[in-house]
Amino acid sequence: MLSAIVKPLIAALLLAGPAAAHGAFVEARNVAAVAVDARYDTGEVMAGAQVSVFAPDNPAEPWLTGVTDADGRFVFAPDSARHGQWAIQVRQAGHGAMGYVTLSADESATITVTPASAAGLSWAQRLLMTACVIWGCIGTALYARRIRPAKAA
Amino acid sequence: MHIPDGILPLGLTLGGWAVAAGLTAVCLNRIAAQPDPRAGLPRASMMTAAFFAASLIHIPVPPSSVHLMLPGLMGAMLGWYALPAILIGLTFQAVMFGHGGLTTLGVNAVILGLPALLAFGVTRFLGQLRQRAAAAVLGFATGAGAVLLAVALFATLLLAGLPAHLDAGAERAAITALALAHLPLALAEGMVVAAVLGFLRRTNPEMIIAR
Repeated sequence: MLSAIVKPLIAALLLAGPAAAHGAFVEARNVAAVAVDARYDTGEVMAGAQVSVFAPDNPAEPWLTGVTDADGRFVFAPDSARHGQWAIQVRQAGHGAMGYVTLSADESATITVTPASAAGLSWAQRLLMTACVIWGCIGTALYARRIRPAKAA
Repeated sequence: MHIPDGILPLGLTLGGWAVAAGLTAVCLNRIAAQPDPRAGLPRASMMTAAFFAASLIHIPVPPSSVHLMLPGLMGAMLGWYALPAILIGLTFQAVMFGHGGLTTLGVNAVILGLPALLAFGVTRFLGQLRQRAAAAVLGFATGAGAVLLAVALFATLLLAGLPAHLDAGAERAAITALALAHLPLALAEGMVVAAVLGFLRRTNPEMIIAR
């Protein structure tokens, strides 16, 4: 009776092999990784923003999704076999931007930022642009004021 | 309230352009039908400049910040000129500051333009109000309501165009937090519109009545 229970149990333990064991292995190796720093144009970090990484051969489906950390940072290692332009989208509450990483055949990644980003503008540049546009509007207003009496006369 | 490029699906982007084009056509027709369509241009130019610069003025609302939007003020001050003015202002904001995008220009124009036109509709009746207090309350409600409507349109469009691969719960929570951060802005813009309309009632009442 006892052997009827013990025999299958021993057999099961022997067959289960590695799955029953608690041994574990950790291997560490070097890979080329891409670090993404996401910020709003106010300088505030985009913490907890959703990141979608698109591989060059499939721009419709994300290859990887994740969330930025408290510093607005997200690190990933692209598949070195997929050469071309990788797209990284970071978005939070309808705000966000795209960044691009080009992975060349020699496995060295070069990073280019989307030109639509206004991050490169200094405050002096912004002030100058604002002043130009405001002056343009004032000029329009003065022009319109000037032609009104002439029309009435 | 600027949706940048690449956030919305193509259908919503094109739909936004179509609605914006239709609204602009209606507005331009109404302007052309006025006795002197050029009469409103100086004010429209000034308000476009103010609208353009307003997105740079950030109001800190912990933990983030919001920027001025002015849909109520644009509608109350400009009437039918409001939508073309907003469209031009948004184009400059997108090109110069990267606020919003060119593909989403239509959607953004609808988000701010519809509340502006509704604000115009409401303030048209202000001239008939005899009591100053009632006019002030209506002016405040117009300014605050326009901001809230713009935020509601923004959130609705974003949630409608949410891609399947995103964590919908996290994005919904982030949008809700952003919408709540706009409540102080709604109060501020409500007070601005009430003050401006109150001033015009005293000094230049025909600006409110004759439209």
